[in-house]
Amino acid sequence: MTQYTVINKRAPRLDAPDKSTGRAKYVDDMTLPGMLFGALLQSPLAHARILNIDVSKAKRLPGVKAVVTAEDAGLIKYGVSPARYDETLFCHEKVRYVGDEIAAVAAVDLETALEAISLIKVDYEELPAVFTPEEAMAQGAPVIHEEYPGNVCAEVHQEFGDVEAAFQDCDLIRTDRFVNKRQDAAFLEPNGCIADYDRFGNLTLYTSTQVPHYVQRTVAMVLKLPVGRVRVIKPYVGGGFGPKAAANPMELAACLLSKKIGRPVKMNYSREQVFLFSRARHQFVHTLTTGVKKDGTIMALKNECYLEGGAYASFGIATVYYAGSLLAAPYRLANMKYDGYRVYTNKPACGAQRGHGGVAARAAWEQQLDAIAEELGMDPIEFRLKNVMSAGDITCNDLNMSSFGMKDCIEAVKKGSGWSEKKGKMPKGKGIGMACGFFVSGAGYPIYRSDTYHATVTVKLSEDGGTATVYTGAAEIGQGSDTTMALIAAEALGVRYEDVRVASGDTEYGIDLGAYSSRTTLMTGHATKEAAESVKRQVLQVLGDRLKVPVDQMDIKNGYIVFKGETPDFSSIRTAYIKEHRGWTDNPDEEPLTFREAARLAYLEKGTIVGTGKYKPGKLGGKYKGAAVGTSPAYGCSAQVAEVSVDMETGKVSVERVTDAHDCGFAINRTSVEGQMEGSVSMGLGEALLEEVKFDEKGNILNANLAEYKIPTCLDMPNVKSLIVESNEPNGPFGAKEVGEGAIMPTIPAILNAVYDAIGVRINELPLTPERVYMAIRRKKGKQ
Amino acid sequence: MKRLITLTINGKEYEVAVPPNLTLLDLLRYELGLTGTKKGCDVGDCGACTVIMDGKPVNSCLVLAVQADGRDILTIEGVETEEGLHPIQQAFVEKGAVQCGFCTPGMILSAKSLLERNPRPTEEEIRTALSGNLCRCTGYQKIVEAVKDASEKLS
Amino acid sequence: MLLPKFDYHEPLSVDEACQIMSDLGEKAKPLAGGTDLIVNMKKKILSPEHLVALSRIEDLRKIELLNGSVRIGACVTAAELAESQEIKRGLGALGQGAGILGSPLIRNLATVAGNLVSARPAADLPPPLMAYGAEVVLKSRRGERTLPLETFFQGPGQTLLEIDEILTEIIIQRPPESAGAGYIKLGTRKALEISLVNVAAYVALDSSGTTIEAARVVLGAVAPTPLRSPSAEKLLIGEKVDPSLFEKAGQAAAKDSRPIDDFRGSAQYRRDMVAVLTRRALNMALEQARRA
Repeated sequence: MTQYTVINKRAPRLDAPDKSTGRAKYVDDMTLPGMLFGALLQSPLAHARILNIDVSKAKRLPGVKAVVTAEDAGLIKYGVSPARYDETLFCHEKVRYVGDEIAAVAAVDLETALEAISLIKVDYEELPAVFTPEEAMAQGAPVIHEEYPGNVCAEVHQEFGDVEAAFQDCDLIRTDRFVNKRQDAAFLEPNGCIADYDRFGNLTLYTSTQVPHYVQRTVAMVLKLPVGRVRVIKPYVGGGFGPKAAANPMELAACLLSKKIGRPVKMNYSREQVFLFSRARHQFVHTLTTGVKKDGTIMALKNECYLEGGAYASFGIATVYYAGSLLAAPYRLANMKYDGYRVYTNKPACGAQRGHGGVAARAAWEQQLDAIAEELGMDPIEFRLKNVMSAGDITCNDLNMSSFGMKDCIEAVKKGSGWSEKKGKMPKGKGIGMACGFFVSGAGYPIYRSDTYHATVTVKLSEDGGTATVYTGAAEIGQGSDTTMALIAAEALGVRYEDVRVASGDTEYGIDLGAYSSRTTLMTGHATKEAAESVKRQVLQVLGDRLKVPVDQMDIKNGYIVFKGETPDFSSIRTAYIKEHRGWTDNPDEEPLTFREAARLAYLEKGTIVGTGKYKPGKLGGKYKGAAVGTSPAYGCSAQVAEVSVDMETGKVSVERVTDAHDCGFAINRTSVEGQMEGSVSMGLGEALLEEVKFDEKGNILNANLAEYKIPTCLDMPNVKSLIVESNEPNGPFGAKEVGEGAIMPTIPAILNAVYDAIGVRINELPLTPERVYMAIRRKKGKQ
Repeated sequence: MKRLITLTINGKEYEVAVPPNLTLLDLLRYELGLTGTKKGCDVGDCGACTVIMDGKPVNSCLVLAVQADGRDILTIEGVETEEGLHPIQQAFVEKGAVQCGFCTPGMILSAKSLLERNPRPTEEEIRTALSGNLCRCTGYQKIVEAVKDASEKLS
Repeated sequence: MLLPKFDYHEPLSVDEACQIMSDLGEKAKPLAGGTDLIVNMKKKILSPEHLVALSRIEDLRKIELLNGSVRIGACVTAAELAESQEIKRGLGALGQGAGILGSPLIRNLATVAGNLVSARPAADLPPPLMAYGAEVVLKSRRGERTLPLETFFQGPGQTLLEIDEILTEIIIQRPPESAGAGYIKLGTRKALEISLVNVAAYVALDSSGTTIEAARVVLGAVAPTPLRSPSAEKLLIGEKVDPSLFEKAGQAAAKDSRPIDDFRGSAQYRRDMVAVLTRRALNMALEQARRA
């Protein structure tokens, strides 16, 4: 096995010292000279015709520099998926949800900007609104977008194999309906931005985003600027989890205002506006029918799903496809039919959130599989092991499991949790449950149809040879990608971790599709590795020429040159280096030759040493409609066991212990892998037990704050026993693949199955609030 | 009407004129440039704006700047020692307790206040002390481990 | 979020505060911990022209023992209550309520008077205070009056406090040695939580330690104001302690409760939980009473 010197250990993060001392700058921590403050006017109504907008009073308010509406912005349609560009920067004619953007103001301070907003007079004609898929799809329902009569934003119909025929051969067929609730990603840093349009026509946008590249393209398109004139810089970002994975109207408004005025404009969402913008997990209603043989072989799955989408498409097309395609593994399944409908409603638009599209489907199915195992009289783990895929398997919808440690994960949690000693032996009110899941390690295709590279990276050496800087557009949003890239570059180049710097999150540094679809380690990692290897090759070539040693007889490790044969005389290189660094106190003075000296030599021979790397996956997936969604160069997978305690009198569920195994291919930084696993469990636990965005009958959010939208506190989270499984992914850098999103997949169903084990009744609706659990227990008692 | 207030922040005395409707959080961030104190919700639900006022951790978004007149404030910028990172900060770095970092300053201040009152807290006491500081990234585990680690090193 | 503009007053004595309140009338609001008022002002639910901060009045920050009563100053914080030895000794249920209010950060700001004056139906301190039979002292330029806390609440956000009055003190007669009380809160998460239902119960035993001499059961979040349950209390007083008695008292309390359906929970669930929590709170109270 390859011996690594840097990766696969526990590295402290590059950004942790700055973040723990308050030095790290997030966008709202920044101030630019002459900066103005912007504010948005948002619709108070869920559905209404705009009859008139009068901005005259707002414009006259002293301190106001500009007021913009659709008249200024134009009507260029944008969105996430080019097939469903259905938003304009500001509403014209109609508003479609409470929060829809109508106008923006820039003024000398926030107080003035907000006052100006209050002076804009809009006349509305209220229209009937729809809030659920049933209402929206009903005959004669009001139409939200003229282009989509019937309010169906996207629908999917796929069949692989022959489900009905397979059902004929089944011994047991079971149908269940499952509902999750609309989520908020609840990242701690509200979205914010500063747009700065200069006198030369260059626009710089500092923004709290997961995707500088997509934001750059959207801004350029909507504001009709050349892409080369738009630079997007992502400072530190306080979490994203999905909703920051596309341009938002505030960013576009700030850019428009700055362009109009010629001064920097800062804008922030309040916490309430974060909820109004939303773009987080949809509500999914899944009806699943699964057929199995008596021996436990899974034969066929029929999946029907309705997604409540909100007023715009956002990521919704991808979401509705994922809600089908992400059930094709981790179990061998030859026959799968999917009918999915994403429906427009007059609520804030839903989009992507950790585990995009697959989390509710996974919860629904893993709970159903548990029920089936019970009906068959099989242990849920044995049942899953019987069906589990392994490396090299290809799903019925053409996803290639190039590495797949699913079985190892299951066995790891079985052992790690003490499953065999606990299952079936716990007292009433205590329960144990398990579930599995898998996820893409990076979307196989960009959001817009293109042959673009998914990542390009440059590694540059400082001229003294001592430091390598990685330039990448990748977005560090808290997941640790900067640290991961530094570790990959250090290992590939052969230097120490502390000799690498990372400059990231800037569209000037290269193409990078950003932090979504759990893609960065594999994709940007590949490009980083390639760039670092190029630098290494260049340095060794110059050194080999000088010392008359073939390149393949040398290596670089830990900052030193390793000669595989006899060490040649390198004294002339050293003498020259020391001469150039007279007065320096840290000059090399013993064996062996340092990378620094070799790199300096390379610079003197060739000028600045720069290596570039690039990555795009090869052709992936099948040829059917929608085949692109779900494809990936690799798939992470995981298994979890949850142990719960339920207060049988109040219905209150406590998750006491979680055992989690995740196959990340190869852990670049073990601490970060665990961090993603633990964070995933926490978000999954929140969705399982606590979280739901609630609305009144007029489409207003009832809990647009972190008091009433309840994410887990420190006291709600159990300790997680994290077990890292490594399957050495052939398509990943050093064998690495994803962990960030896939790790959430088993959490909800593991908790559902544990709660069933504790109370003896299945609950098919989230979240498992005390009331919902109590009512389920009561219904069961009533039946007895 | 602005009022002149005097307060000590991180050991340094400040005299500033503030309008009554300015919060301590906005004073720190936007008037004094102490942006390590974060604004996550602005209504006391998240704890990102935690500062220690007269020895007690509080949500600075709920304190008026005028109420801080004469008080002693510690923000994250004042936690480092002359030797470098404070042991709690060091533990956060080493244990992987930092991800996006937005909750980190508040977490560290809540932890610091706990360890001053209770140098060897149990896990339950740590979790309770941090229960007003929301974190969406870490699942809290490595934060709790960091506080335990720091408590061992400090005592 | 910006606060609306207001003038700020910082009296150093109760008299001065009363004078200001009397001069400004409806335009002014007393500011204690701010955890409720500042939030409501940021959300533009309230925008008083004047805030009268009570935090510098030393007299309002004390917990005093006086002739068998405990007097809690208006500006004593929840954290101070939770940690106070005077409260732990004999008034444990109040300490429990204070120790679970909001979060540790909120508890360092939120005051006992603020938790009463804001009159939220789900507030944590009214039930234990009412269970101990607390009284509140209201002061103004016109004079001083003392009211039983249970008559103070009039509805959500509504109390008997007149516009020029300040709640200065809470008075609790120290319960006898043979008494105990308990407080339980049911929410969905374990901190930063608004109660779905909360219950405080108080029992005093006779000298034999077997018969209930006095009882109070107070229900929160199941009516427009915190509510005493007369049926449960009637059922308990004079009876011998046994497990089925508390079960029946719980059911009686559930019948007295008047919960509503809202986005946090259904009336049915709340009513059922009143029964469970009442029984549990009574058991806590009994255990404490017996320990003495």
